[in-house]
Amino acid sequence: MVTNLATLPIKNKIRELRFFAEEMTQQELAELVGVTRQTIMAIEKCKYSPTLEVAFKIAEVFGQSIDEVFQYHSA
Amino acid sequence: MNMSFKEKSIWISLVSTVLIFGDYFINVLSLSGLPAETAKTTALELSLRALFLIILIEVIFQGMLATSNRKAAKLGADERDKLFEYKGNNFGYTVLVIGVFITLGRIVILELNPELIGQSSVLEIPLLTAHILLFSFIFSEIVRFSTQLYFYRCGH
Repeated sequence: MVTNLATLPIKNKIRELRFFAEEMTQQELAELVGVTRQTIMAIEKCKYSPTLEVAFKIAEVFGQSIDEVFQYHSA
Repeated sequence: MNMSFKEKSIWISLVSTVLIFGDYFINVLSLSGLPAETAKTTALELSLRALFLIILIEVIFQGMLATSNRKAAKLGADERDKLFEYKGNNFGYTVLVIGVFITLGRIVILELNPELIGQSSVLEIPLLTAHILLFSFIFSEIVRFSTQLYFYRCGH
């Protein structure tokens, strides 16, 4: 079912990582990962939890491990 | 509003389905009271017109959308689009199955009680069984599109 923004358990610091990666745009990250810009935006806003594959690809783009990019906060 | 290519495409399908088949069902409802043969012929003409229009509108508008978003059209559906499509299909399928069972129930009841055939409908719509099935299909499509748009807007 739909999970609202406040209760989504997976948080991330993609916005921050993009900033430190020479202000990489959402479009650039989307192209590197192979998803749409809207999906990157939804992930950043914690409105969508990506699959493991996309999560690994995002972490790889920034040269970080997956748990440095994504954090699971149980309720 | 920030919409992906897929979301825009779903909006086109939803709006065209609601407008074209909404108009179709309103016209079919207004046929009650006409002589049976005239009503059947008119209903068939209306259904052919609706079918032609939906194909035409979809081809034109989806084509225009794809032309103006070549890159996104080439990329196709990503994992988020596929997830929402899957969820939409689930909801739409449920509605379709309910419609099919209602139609089957009607067929079986009329088969077991042939005396009801003349008085089986208060609507007096021509080709009523086919229209119940068609309405179920169109309604399931609307539910499918609406569910996907709901997830795009509210997130998952």
